[in-house]
Amino acid sequence: MPQSVPEKTIMQPFAFLGKVSLNILGEAGAICIFLFEAILHVFSSLGIFTKTIKELYFIGVRSITVISLIGLFTGMVVGLQTYYALSKFGSEGFLGAAVALSLVRELGPVLTAIMLTGRAGSSMTAEIGVMRISEQIDALELMDINPMSYLVSPKLLASLISFPILTALFDLIGIAGGYLSGVALLGGNSGVYFHRVCTSLSWEDISAGFTKSIVFAVVVCIVCCFQGYFTHFRKDGKGAEGVSQATTTAVVMSCVMVLVTDYILTSLLFQ
Amino acid sequence: MTSSAPDIRIENLTIGYGGKPIIEDINATLPGGGVSVILGGSGCGKSTLLKNILKLNPAMGGSVYLGKHNIFTLKKKAFSCLKQRIGVLFQDGALLGALNLFDNVALPLREHTKLKPAEIAEVVKAKLSLVGLEKFVDYFPNELSGGMRKRAGLARAMVMDPDILFCDEPTSGLDPINSAELDELLLELKKRFEMTIVVVSHDLASMQAIADYVLVLGKGKTLFNGSKESLMATDDVYLRQFLDRKGEKRESSRITMPHLDPSVMRMDCNKLLGDLDNN
Ligand SMILES: Nc1ncnc2c1ncn2[C@@H]1O[C@H](COP(=O)(O)OP(=O)(O)OP(=O)(O)O)[C@@H](O)[C@H]1O
Ligand SMILES: [Mg+2]
Repeated sequence: MPQSVPEKTIMQPFAFLGKVSLNILGEAGAICIFLFEAILHVFSSLGIFTKTIKELYFIGVRSITVISLIGLFTGMVVGLQTYYALSKFGSEGFLGAAVALSLVRELGPVLTAIMLTGRAGSSMTAEIGVMRISEQIDALELMDINPMSYLVSPKLLASLISFPILTALFDLIGIAGGYLSGVALLGGNSGVYFHRVCTSLSWEDISAGFTKSIVFAVVVCIVCCFQGYFTHFRKDGKGAEGVSQATTTAVVMSCVMVLVTDYILTSLLFQ
Repeated sequence: MTSSAPDIRIENLTIGYGGKPIIEDINATLPGGGVSVILGGSGCGKSTLLKNILKLNPAMGGSVYLGKHNIFTLKKKAFSCLKQRIGVLFQDGALLGALNLFDNVALPLREHTKLKPAEIAEVVKAKLSLVGLEKFVDYFPNELSGGMRKRAGLARAMVMDPDILFCDEPTSGLDPINSAELDELLLELKKRFEMTIVVVSHDLASMQAIADYVLVLGKGKTLFNGSKESLMATDDVYLRQFLDRKGEKRESSRITMPHLDPSVMRMDCNKLLGDLDNN
């Protein structure tokens, strides 16, 4: 019918929008259910502690070097930039405060989470995805071993433990890095630097940083495990390509989600 | 058979993927305490049927009873218990890639029993030596051959001494000696433990050796179900073809394409190699 054609073209963008939002809502719901199940199985599974310790080694211990490096150079860059900016107003004395606050409130939790997404999150997706396409998850299910409690819950628990600790390490080394560039290299006053660090940081800043890192742990772990777990439902790739697509999606989605939740948390925590 | 081993009753089962049926309306009773062989051409849906019986894929209709339990309506907890009484060998083993052979086989015991590590080690060694892999306990699945992975998968399927054992093509990829030994192992399991064993296969020799009951699938339906003897006596054309290992009868040759002309090759290998003949 000729009359229906313009109507269709007018409605098309809306139909598209509707479809996209329904997809997003559906996925968000599925991720929430996934998270809920993972939490449930933390409490109901036997021997979760040995599995968690293995994951802690992988997610936590083996990330120490890279987190230290990133922390050091982030701190040094922040020290450098802030020093130049502050010296224009002759207030180099506030360098310690600026470095400490920006690291503890924002850079520490966010950069740690993004780094761990790349290092640990991507491998969670790939590992679970490969297990899915090679029927290993089916085999687990048939042995009556719940794949959620065998694979996902230990990773969640290990993330919850290692993200805050690694964030603390990042903050600490970052502050030392700021000292290195701002004080040792550019000649600021060392006593003033640490005095400013101590007086500017309040307990609220530190606890907010930890709150963020705990939320990021959940976001990164659940998004990455979710993408791997449902690799076989992907429409954009099957088999090995599906796993690679799932890994890409997981990393991109985790990073975006980390920054979005960071904005929300910042606006809630620092009112 | 008069034993306590459970029958598997399949009623009006339709299987398929994503709303597209592959085999419709399967009806069969696989006898308890016996060996049932599911035969059929490659890609006819044998593995899919197995996955449906085990509730890995949602069935499109019908029901499956293990003993007196309808597995599609069984409560979650009860189905968990049922799964612990079932052993499954997947078509390609499906061993966990992150664990070595010992841990793979020990996993169900560690998760579901109160056995001490020493006792677990004993059971695992015994099961692995049943399939001839006792020397490979600390190999990882990707360091094993295809046939070894399959045998390891069987060891894992047997480790809980299940009442029902499902094997997806246990003998494909094995040499004649190993396949014969595996057949004997299955028969022994049936005799000693009165296991209900379901074997998916297209290995006719193995079917002859072990089957009590045969279900033949193909062309989207059940082609035959009944005892081995009545299958061997059948005069259905397709079944005879299958049993006598004959291809489709054709009037003319199947190869109608001309031979690939060397001049279409991207690389001029004739110059480099010359003709591939002896002198
Ligand atoms: N995940 C899937 N999604 C859609 N179709 C599938 C899927 N897996 C298998 N199929 C289709 O289902 C049919 C039956 O597959 P199945 O694996 O059950 O065959 P089979 O009888 O076990 O064959 P073989 O003897 O070669 O193992 C095939 O035509 C296949 O293309
Ligand atoms: Mg198959």
